[in-house]
Amino acid sequence: MTTPALEVTGLTRTYGTGAAAVAALNGLDLVCAPGTFTAVMGPSGSGKSTFLTCAGALEQPTGGRVVIAGQDVTELTEARRTRLRRERIGFVFQGFHLLPYLTAEQNVALPLRLAGGRIDAAARPRIRELLDRVGLGDRTGHLPAQLSGGQQQRVAIARALATGPDIILADEPTGALDSHTAASVLALLRSLVRELGATVVMVTHDPVAAAYADSVVFLVDGRAVGRMENPAAEAVAGQMAHLDELTARTEQELV
Amino acid sequence: MLTLALRSLRHRATAMTATFVAILLGTAVMGSFTPLIQVALEPGTPSAERETLLILGGVVGAWGTVIALFSIVSTVGVTVRQREVEIGLLRTVGAEPRQVRALVRAETLLVALVAAVLGAAVASLTSRALLDLLQSGGVVSEQVAHSGGLTALAATVVLLLLVSLTAAGMAGSRASRGPATVVLSEARTGTGRLAWWRWVVAAVAVGLASSSVAMTMATGKDAADPSEAMAMTGSLGLVVAVGLAALAPLLLRAGSWVLRPLLGGTSGHLAAYNTSRRSHLLAGVLAPVMVLSAASVSILMLVGIDERTLPTGLPPEVVEGFETANLLNNVVTAMICAFAAIMVVNAFAALLADRRLELYRLRLLGATPGQVRGSILAEAGVVAAVGTVIGLLAAQATIVPFAYVRGEGLVPDAQLWLPPVLVAGAVALTLVSAAGATSRALRTTSGAR
Ligand SMILES: Nc1ncnc2c1ncn2[C@@H]1O[C@H](COP(=O)(O)OP(=O)(O)O)[C@@H](O)[C@H]1O
Ligand SMILES: [Mg+2]
Repeated sequence: MTTPALEVTGLTRTYGTGAAAVAALNGLDLVCAPGTFTAVMGPSGSGKSTFLTCAGALEQPTGGRVVIAGQDVTELTEARRTRLRRERIGFVFQGFHLLPYLTAEQNVALPLRLAGGRIDAAARPRIRELLDRVGLGDRTGHLPAQLSGGQQQRVAIARALATGPDIILADEPTGALDSHTAASVLALLRSLVRELGATVVMVTHDPVAAAYADSVVFLVDGRAVGRMENPAAEAVAGQMAHLDELTARTEQELV
Repeated sequence: MLTLALRSLRHRATAMTATFVAILLGTAVMGSFTPLIQVALEPGTPSAERETLLILGGVVGAWGTVIALFSIVSTVGVTVRQREVEIGLLRTVGAEPRQVRALVRAETLLVALVAAVLGAAVASLTSRALLDLLQSGGVVSEQVAHSGGLTALAATVVLLLLVSLTAAGMAGSRASRGPATVVLSEARTGTGRLAWWRWVVAAVAVGLASSSVAMTMATGKDAADPSEAMAMTGSLGLVVAVGLAALAPLLLRAGSWVLRPLLGGTSGHLAAYNTSRRSHLLAGVLAPVMVLSAASVSILMLVGIDERTLPTGLPPEVVEGFETANLLNNVVTAMICAFAAIMVVNAFAALLADRRLELYRLRLLGATPGQVRGSILAEAGVVAAVGTVIGLLAAQATIVPFAYVRGEGLVPDAQLWLPPVLVAGAVALTLVSAAGATSRALRTTSGAR
């Protein structure tokens, strides 16, 4: 069996202490094989964002392990994690997170610069290629303010690919886009998986977005409660409604 | 509007601190001198002392007003500009430009009121200390008694409040102009053209200064009164610096282009583009650095030249006049430098408080804290280099004609170590305030998500 791109075992993350403690993650297990597109869904507050920050080595979990392409990130120092983050993980955020004073091309090159310094003759065509790949070959010199939301997210995706990461983590990547633009960004993500063999984990609350993935993992109260292969939007929506009902019931029981 | 202003103030504590400090300091400095005018006008004051006190209070008071206006306009401007998103939001939910301006005015007035009253309280003590100092230095006779100067202090507070309201009005009308859309302030780039009035301010300042320089050099040597040249040239360096400060965004872009070969590494790369593409943000720091270097270099050199070249055998009352003039020069310089220094610190603090999200973003992409800090320090380095070079050039408008008229030639005979020392001070101040502001911003970035 090949090494998983991401393997999460018994992940817990508790905020606060004592009576005020909230377990955002409560023993989460998840495995993503290389070259797959996984969606993570769950009601609001189910721990999706917390999962992503722990999986992305942005935050230390309270317990459990996060292994990225065979490397356990939970046992690394903050400096080593920073290095791992920029070399092996690509991030895509709802708010794009481009640097406003760098052009599309410079934004894409940034992770390479942060990792090594100079952009040499070999790197430049690769950056161009990435921008071509996301359909922005003719916009390389534009600043973020001169690009539409969808175009900015494409730049962010190209940037996430720049270092050739083992995994791309996306937090609601289409949350700030209209449905038409969202569809083209999602199609782009899927084609990166199909054609470039990238591994994508995407947190979303939108069943239509989740339907672009190979499989959907459902989260409730910081735990994986189900998995659906080759999801269709209607089936995902049905499952989500069921989960919402479930959580509503537990909340009532608690009251 | 008042409740909205209060709420908004609580949320913008850091940025408003800048305005608060500028107004507090403005009132304290001006309030130390304005009571001297009141003392001068008391019936018991001997008429010989009256003139000295009026000049001290009047000159410093007038300069203080100009400087306070400059620094308050710039800090309020920075505060308001950073809130373009919020103001845009207010306008999209239906706030009229008039209401936006009222909000900005109400906020500023609240802060200004507290700051000015506190400043006046400080001044009521420092003003007495100042008179004691003048008396022990022999500038003013011991017969003069301090009368408390309550009227003068009240007038100073009112003046500062008016200045603050003017500043708020200018900033508010700039922020509420244009279409009511939410423009992310960080996304705004600064490569656009400069407003026409900036060119006018710069042209008028440089034009006035160069004609004064030419006139002084042509006629000053023959003037009967040796103090005339000082009066003519003393403020020229500052005038040029303030005029060029209007072009700060442009100068920063040009400077960053020139310095680009020196900006190596990832941090340098980021700094080069940030200083050239968002020059409008960093211009708020560049302007006071320019003014600080120009004022300190020009006036301290002027005093030095004057002390070396004062003709001997002058009547004692003329010599005393020169002593008063140089005391004034030193006081005004100290005041300008204090204000400019505080503006530099303020401007960096406000700027970086608002760039927290951007710094967090860099961290997300895998930048180490060292790389983030390095890029901000490189930016500060560009600002310091451009600011001190232009400040030094501007100072020549005072130094060259005065040295020439006093027979030292185009270059002064001594104290040539002074400009490098002052420049080093300005550079250090810029870098240290940037480093401090960055540490604060990085400490809080973890919560900025
Ligand atoms: N920094 C934090 N401090 C305290 N509680 C937090 C923090 N971040 C998240 N939580 C709590 O953890 C739970 C999961 O949050 P989150 O991961 O953001 O969920 P989701 O993204 O699925 O909406 C929520 O109950 C939330 O209130
Ligand atoms: Mg979330």
